[in-house]
Amino acid sequence: MAYTITSLLQKSYKEAQGKTVVQVLLVLAGLPVHLVIYFIYLIRKKDQTRDTVLNDIRVELSDKQLSDQWHSDYVDQLVRKRTFFQENVSDKEIHEVAEKLVEERKKEEITRRTDDHLNQSGIQRTTYSVYFQSLLERRHFLLYTLLPGVLMYAILLLISNPFLTYIAERLIQSVLVIIGVAILVFTILYISPFDPASNILGESATQEQITAFNQLHGLDLSYWQQLWNALKGIATFDLGSSFAGNEDVATSIANKFPVTLTIALFSVIMAVVIAIPVGILSATRPNSFLDYSFMFIALIGLSIPNFWQGLIFILNFSIKLNWLPATYSPSNHLSMIMPVVVLGTALTASIARMMRSSLLEIIHEDYIITARAKGLSKSQMLWKHAVGNAMIPVITVIGLLFGGMLGGAAVTEKVFNIRGIGSYIVDKQFIPDIPAIMGGVVYIAITISLVNLLIDILYAFLDPRIRSKINQS
Amino acid sequence: MKDSSNNRHALVISKDYPQANFTWILSLALAAIFLWNSFPTKTDGLNPFVFALFCAYTLTSILQLFITRKIKKDLLHAGEIHKTTRRLGYFQLASLLTGNIFAAAFAFNLINKRKTPEYTFAVYTLLTQLAVIAISSVNLFKPYVSDTFLIAMGSLLLIALFHLVALILTVHYVREYSAPRWMSVLAVVLMATAVTGNLFALLLGWSLFMKSRRFDSSRLSKWNVMWEKITRNSTAVLGMFFILLMLTISITSRFTFDYALAVENNYSAILQAPSLVYPFGTDNFGRDVFSRIVFGARISLLVGFASTILPGLIGGFLGAIAGYYSNRIDNWIMRLLDILYSIPGILLAIAIIAAFGANTVNLIIALSVGGIPTYARTMRANVLMVSNYDFVDSAKALGASDFSILFKQVVPNSLAPMIVKSTLTIGGAVIATSSLSYLGLGVEPHIPEWGNILKVGSTYLESNSYLAIFPGLAIILLVLSFNFLGDGLRDALDPKLD
Repeated sequence: MAYTITSLLQKSYKEAQGKTVVQVLLVLAGLPVHLVIYFIYLIRKKDQTRDTVLNDIRVELSDKQLSDQWHSDYVDQLVRKRTFFQENVSDKEIHEVAEKLVEERKKEEITRRTDDHLNQSGIQRTTYSVYFQSLLERRHFLLYTLLPGVLMYAILLLISNPFLTYIAERLIQSVLVIIGVAILVFTILYISPFDPASNILGESATQEQITAFNQLHGLDLSYWQQLWNALKGIATFDLGSSFAGNEDVATSIANKFPVTLTIALFSVIMAVVIAIPVGILSATRPNSFLDYSFMFIALIGLSIPNFWQGLIFILNFSIKLNWLPATYSPSNHLSMIMPVVVLGTALTASIARMMRSSLLEIIHEDYIITARAKGLSKSQMLWKHAVGNAMIPVITVIGLLFGGMLGGAAVTEKVFNIRGIGSYIVDKQFIPDIPAIMGGVVYIAITISLVNLLIDILYAFLDPRIRSKINQS
Repeated sequence: MKDSSNNRHALVISKDYPQANFTWILSLALAAIFLWNSFPTKTDGLNPFVFALFCAYTLTSILQLFITRKIKKDLLHAGEIHKTTRRLGYFQLASLLTGNIFAAAFAFNLINKRKTPEYTFAVYTLLTQLAVIAISSVNLFKPYVSDTFLIAMGSLLLIALFHLVALILTVHYVREYSAPRWMSVLAVVLMATAVTGNLFALLLGWSLFMKSRRFDSSRLSKWNVMWEKITRNSTAVLGMFFILLMLTISITSRFTFDYALAVENNYSAILQAPSLVYPFGTDNFGRDVFSRIVFGARISLLVGFASTILPGLIGGFLGAIAGYYSNRIDNWIMRLLDILYSIPGILLAIAIIAAFGANTVNLIIALSVGGIPTYARTMRANVLMVSNYDFVDSAKALGASDFSILFKQVVPNSLAPMIVKSTLTIGGAVIATSSLSYLGLGVEPHIPEWGNILKVGSTYLESNSYLAIFPGLAIILLVLSFNFLGDGLRDALDPKLD
């Protein structure tokens, strides 16, 4: 077992040599180990043979004849280039350029010949990385350095598996994006010309009151300090108290988030249940009356503003027909129907259109024709080969639209008087209540990033095309 | 046997038959809506005006159904539409009087067998002009009109007459690739009439100008083919018609509508139900909702276009650079844009407006910032594809600089998907504008904007529901038009479908 681990580590260390970023990461992760080993390496380094060979070859190449030969070659090339492009270059410049080129070539030639010579005589050039690689083979070395170098070994194990590497890369990317989002939103709110203190305390507030308010909420600190506090707050779920009402922002968000998420989730389920069959029906009967009607309705669904649809629903189903309650209450399940339908309409329409076009494209692929030629029936072809493949881009789109839906939830929540995260942000923006808005926006962005991350990782396992792509890279 | 299969093919490729079907179904649907609304729920009586509309639309759809049957029979028997069937189009033109644009557009299409793009432009130029006059003349029932109303209406009528003449001349003289030389004068005048916002006139004028001046035939055929593809899709043209109608109205309303009716309080006429004087009723301050909706079109179009063009330019530029230059630049730009992309557009807009206050300029900026990454991605994908083409290599071989290759060769050839994308996203911008106004985060509340009108309407949902219904319909109509046009453009410009 230990043997396999050492060889795995050694192999992935060798592979990492081509990539600068990974190399730097490895050095940083195993800094204590590397420092000690480098010191030992310097002491032990007895690379005499290489130096002598290098000197021999240098003497060999300083031969005047060879460099003259190169020089005249280069001058010839440059003169031809000048005449062809009709450039305005003097002979002196050409000679200078040729001189430079000769020098460069000489240097290259020396290192190349040295390495050739050494390879021929079977002596490997001992660099630090080679030395380190040889150490990695030993089990004892691994055991001794396990504690200080555990981070580095973790990275080495990670990059030995393409799937793990892919997931790690996506994870890092998401974290960076989330930090970027937090910085962006904070900066926008920071450069706002509004003054929350005077908005909350009123115009009659004294200077002392304003100073006290600013001190209480840390608004008198510098930009960097405030930014650091905000980032720390987001990471530790401690965003302080809101400016107005003095409630704990993180707790309020934690209370409101599930409401929004539940409604959004039901909307997605509704959208998928309705849109996928509609898309399949449309795509299997292209340009029929059914297809036209479905796509017409879908386009109307895309064009209806959420809040108007909500108002019309309330008008018809609550006021006129009295079937459903007009406002949302968590205890009444019937009150969830209208918000879910309103929020999911645009999503349903997009998915149906996407499913149709994706399936239509797949149906005309060569492998579907092959499947038909093999003698599969139309429904076998559809369900075994076409629908699964057509779902791939559709699921990506669902992931992307889910984000838009969480963002757009604010409007729907306002119409149905739902106390969700969207209406919370809208309520807080008039002051502007920086921690509340910031927390709301960033946590929504985090949720969206996580959903998309999950979809990407799922794809890495499910989609053979992505799988092979990852394995190749 | 072979003949009948040929004719079946004629039915499938016919442009007129699906449009005929579409028209009767739509007319019937509209008739059903009118029937539904001719019996108000609260009072027992029947609304005679709406009921008359129902009768007219039913008649239209019956005639349309008859024409559709005849077209199908003609196509199956003879492979082409018979002359007498085309004559029926003249009867169907009467539906224009009831405001049934769909039937009228179909009738115009049916009457003329040889359809040049100019014919379609001329028809829609005239239809737009007539629709604008019809909508503006609603003001005749008002107690007073704006000072410029008579002059403006007079000139609109004159222009409409001129467009009618242009239509007749187009039918008689314009051929596929040529037009008489004297038509260039007509063309210039037509282009001048486009200042009313009727851009169909501009298209018609430019098209006639090219043909009368004998532009080279490759350019003409490109133009013909492109518009042929777009006009083949009747819903796309109807979408374009509604967009340009809104544009024309928002320009001419400056002279034909009285802004005071839309913004000044009139406490003697609070919350009136729809009538001839106030077609869509009045709101809680006695302001005329119809005028407010007409003036609201201006804001919606302005914000919609501005918040599409701005991110289109910025995102397009960034995407072009990311796609053309090295991997490192690409990575930096796209990773930074990923940050913007991961915040939902509306949420980012709310955050920006929270920071800088709610007004129209901030709204445009807020909506634009969120749109940048989408355009950058679209542009980048196209630039990546186009920069592999041979003409880019030959430009490189000729010694052109990277910058000039990018912006003279690559970008112009990757614009088509950008145009399609932006047409499809203008609708979203219009919805976002009204949504934010509805939340109180968009246009200032006193300005007539569709979201603002709806906000007032939502508080009177129970008693005066029309206040909320009509502005919503206006939004849907505009957004639907953009979506239809965008779909049509995508089908016409997508090289995959060639």
